[in-house]
Amino acid sequence: MSNTNTRVPRRRFLKAAVATASTAVLAPTIIPSSALGRDGAVAPSERIVIGGIGIGRRGTYDLGCFLEQKDVQFVAICDVKEKQRVAVKKMADEKYGNDHCAMYSDFRELLDRSDIDGVLIATGPNWHATAAMAAARAGKDMYCEKPVTKNIAQSLVLAETMRRTGRVFQAGTQRRNLPHFAFACELARTGKLGKLKKVYAHPAGMQALMSGWLVPEPQPDKDVVDWDMYLGPAAWRPYNARLLDGFNFEKGGGFVGAFKGGGVLEWGSHCVDLCQWAVGDCPPPVEYNAPKDGQLVARYENGTELIFRETGWIPLGSCPVRFEGETGWVEAGDSGKMVLSSPELLAGRKVAEIGGYPATYHVRDFLDCVKTRSQPKGNADAACNAHIACHAANIALHLDRQVKYDNTTHQFIDDEQANRMRSEALREPWRV
Amino acid sequence: MLANRPFHHVLALLAAVLLVAATSAFADDPKSSGAQEQALLDVLRSDAPADEKAMTCKKLAIDGSSASVADLAKLLSDPQLASWARIALEVIPGEAADEALLAATDELDGKLLVGTINSIGVRRYAGAATKLTSRLQDSDAEVVSAAAVALGLIGNADAGKSLRQALAAAPANVRTAIAEGCVLCAERFLAEGNADDAIVMYDEVRQANVSDQRILEATRGAILARNQEGLPLLLEQFQSPQKAMFQLALGTAREFPGDKIDQALATEVANAAPERAALIIQAMADRPQTVVLTAIMNAAEKGDRQVRVSAIDALKRVGNESCLDALLEIAVSSDAELAQSAKETLAILPGEKVDLQIVSLLPKAERKSYPLLIELVGQRRIDAVPELLKAVEDADQGIRHAALIALGETVSLKRLSVLVSQVTAPKHADDAAVAQQALKTASIRMPDREACAAELTLAVKQSPATAKSNLLEILSEVGGTTALQSLASAAKSNDPELQDTASRLLGKWNGVDAAPVLLDLATTAPSEKYQVRALRGYIGLARKFAMPEPERAEMCRSAIAVTNKPAEQQLVLDVLQLHPSPPSLKLAIEAMQRPALKEQATQAALVIAQKLSSKGVDVSGQLTQAGFAKVKLEIVKALYGAGSQQRDVTDVLQKQAGDLPLISLASENYNTSFGGDPAPGSVKQLKVEYRINGKAAEATFAENALIVFPIPK
Repeated sequence: MSNTNTRVPRRRFLKAAVATASTAVLAPTIIPSSALGRDGAVAPSERIVIGGIGIGRRGTYDLGCFLEQKDVQFVAICDVKEKQRVAVKKMADEKYGNDHCAMYSDFRELLDRSDIDGVLIATGPNWHATAAMAAARAGKDMYCEKPVTKNIAQSLVLAETMRRTGRVFQAGTQRRNLPHFAFACELARTGKLGKLKKVYAHPAGMQALMSGWLVPEPQPDKDVVDWDMYLGPAAWRPYNARLLDGFNFEKGGGFVGAFKGGGVLEWGSHCVDLCQWAVGDCPPPVEYNAPKDGQLVARYENGTELIFRETGWIPLGSCPVRFEGETGWVEAGDSGKMVLSSPELLAGRKVAEIGGYPATYHVRDFLDCVKTRSQPKGNADAACNAHIACHAANIALHLDRQVKYDNTTHQFIDDEQANRMRSEALREPWRV
Repeated sequence: MLANRPFHHVLALLAAVLLVAATSAFADDPKSSGAQEQALLDVLRSDAPADEKAMTCKKLAIDGSSASVADLAKLLSDPQLASWARIALEVIPGEAADEALLAATDELDGKLLVGTINSIGVRRYAGAATKLTSRLQDSDAEVVSAAAVALGLIGNADAGKSLRQALAAAPANVRTAIAEGCVLCAERFLAEGNADDAIVMYDEVRQANVSDQRILEATRGAILARNQEGLPLLLEQFQSPQKAMFQLALGTAREFPGDKIDQALATEVANAAPERAALIIQAMADRPQTVVLTAIMNAAEKGDRQVRVSAIDALKRVGNESCLDALLEIAVSSDAELAQSAKETLAILPGEKVDLQIVSLLPKAERKSYPLLIELVGQRRIDAVPELLKAVEDADQGIRHAALIALGETVSLKRLSVLVSQVTAPKHADDAAVAQQALKTASIRMPDREACAAELTLAVKQSPATAKSNLLEILSEVGGTTALQSLASAAKSNDPELQDTASRLLGKWNGVDAAPVLLDLATTAPSEKYQVRALRGYIGLARKFAMPEPERAEMCRSAIAVTNKPAEQQLVLDVLQLHPSPPSLKLAIEAMQRPALKEQATQAALVIAQKLSSKGVDVSGQLTQAGFAKVKLEIVKALYGAGSQQRDVTDVLQKQAGDLPLISLASENYNTSFGGDPAPGSVKQLKVEYRINGKAAEATFAENALIVFPIPK
């Protein structure tokens, strides 16, 4: 028998950190700032201490949103890539005018720090759920980029773990905190469009991704790229630099024979999430049909259809959604604009046009909930439902036939093949 | 939103989650898919390379049966393939997989053992309880942790007993891990209705010397498992000096069933320190069905400022008409912050009678609250036009403006004329701008936009010259056939100002319905300037809107037909390239016949042809017919990358080189077509040395650009 007890040293502490003062820019919020004691200078003891796990391109943007908040102190970065560790430390240290941001290559060391309240998880999707649940078990709240989960089982365990541990979880579904998307969803949810008939999502490429096993290449030094930690919960494969694109690595379900795309999870975790909000965050659809003519039609228990549609959108920017009721419809996209079947639907309200899907408001929502212990808009239950809808659609895509899902048992009905695709074992020693 | 999570929901979902993890819930072992499975097993038994075996394991996760278990189990000791094997073993139904995983625990250690135990936990194999119990004594802390969690997931009486015993005797380095197993097991007990045993386990964890987070989890469980009897324990946490325990109380209070907790929270908020009271109020408001509203109202009216702001904010969710008087008083108070908070709450204060009360207050309102009430009429869209018309006559400019704004937000089509008259003949000059904005607000929300446009069109005809342009601006915002016709008439009128305004508005019209009007104006508008403006608007429609491609090409054909100006013709070619289709290629080829346009049209045709052929459309016939001479294209050398990080892609291009001066790649994405990103994070280029008909040349293309080679001269 092999002896493979080659555990990663848990105490590879690279640099100590001490929190000090910060400056920040005021940002819109849901709860008045003074109600949460952050209307003036925030005492160090009242700041929310944040660490970062896996901060790449998207994460750097998110981190910028955190650093804007005057009640945040960012104290540590963990990344398996040295280049990223150093870049994020530089960003934080320049913000605070010191050199206190600590660097780690093993996120468990960061999670062991008792002074850290919450974490920003912006690894690739391969790590999101595993890191999020480890953070919850370590007593940290978290803002976690999407797609959050790799399969249906992970989605369910994520929601249950956040509940059991009492942690605040915010998925990186920042469109839930943008006014025009929120308004469009409210119209649908509150019956202003009449009985809701169809909700449309734009998955931008209905394919499931599996990153495969590429030709081995010489592995970099562990301090430069920790390949074992990069792989993390993904099944083992040799080092190949092409796989270091964490944004796309093991994203989208990863079924056999579908080594391409990843669109349903990449964009569906946003636009299907908005559709879920439009239908009142009810359980996900119960029926998913095989794709036909660029559309995949799913159906909720009450008959409302969730339609994954590639084309036919009003040009309103990326991530469009459309909600159709018996008496009206609304369509919105990333331009910050929306089109209504009737201007009367505005009911005199002014909806701010904020294009480009900024995350500032979503981050603020998260931070407020860290204090109030309420549920942020991208909470784990909401994320769970939206991701299940995406995963189930992926399974229908892969099987190229209809599948029916039971929201009580969380199984596909009389469908052994589909049921086996609800989960996937994680590489040792990781678990969710 | 799922702000409040009822306890029964927790139990239901927990049960469902565990069901998912329970392999015992799978259907009966399906029959092996025979030949298919055998073929996969042949791969596993062969000398196939590891990557092939890995993918085979994934396929067996879907198609494998108990017949595959033995071969998969052999891979559990292989550091490279164990994780792949477990992907299949974790989901193959039946005891064979359970037993294989369990047997492997005797032979493995370290991470491979941990992974195998994790899989047993996911499958919730009750038969593993004894062996897992022995692993609670393992010298490897990670093995102990995995065993504890697996036992927690199994969650039967034996597992519970083992975990409790282990917790009592565990050394410090694994105690927290075992406590996690205990909490998981207790959750399982609770989900199955066994609250008594769950409470015992939760309480033991609470008393143990384990991490704060485990104690938090156990405390939450202990509170909720006790149901109403858990209330004292919950309230105890509100008093805790530990911030984490107080936060736990805030979260758990939102989950707690019944309404006794609401009264208890009302008491807590009165006694807590301000910074805590403010947070408790937010928790109270997340229980809208049972909240004690009077407690929040009291907090809103007096006391600490932070608590008041929190309470006023909470009333947005749980307030009603009983809060109206107090909020109005706060909203006109001298404390600017509290006043602003109150105004924001008043704008959306729930309650069916709130609107009626606001209207009833208008006639007798004091001067300081009068503008606020008018503002609320607008914000809440209350039908109170008579009262607003009275306010429009007020001597106070602020009140007049507030009333105009409110009219804009509430007036119906029937009463739109009251705003039109304020625009065309304002009694006070400084009211005109506000009135115009109000009329615009009102007009664009009218459900019958044709009727609204008719009303505005009539107003344009009857209004003085100074107001006509303003009304046209509003008409363009309203949209629709009537508005379009009105603007078209204005664009052809004798009034230069109206010509200018109308043609400008038509030029940015947001709908293809303007196409005929714009095309007509492109030749009939009173001046060349407006003709160009109209044509550009027309071309913009073809560029911007979704439509059948033949229709788009026809629009482009019409545009080229009515102009000889190179700039506009180039805009048309741009549209054709942006929306490549056989009709657009045909038109580009036709445009090549125009001497002044030949060079640009040729380039456009090649770009369109390249885009079409990359999508699998055969364009060779069209190109040959168009007189494109076949060329001999030779790729000499091609490099893709940035700086010193270059990849030789000569082979790729050579394979795609044909008899046209362009190349279609397998994907529009260079990285995909060229086998990966040679310089991640850098701006890359494709540099090509080539020959066409024997003449050498070089070309450089930006990343993902179309590859159309200039013909060497």
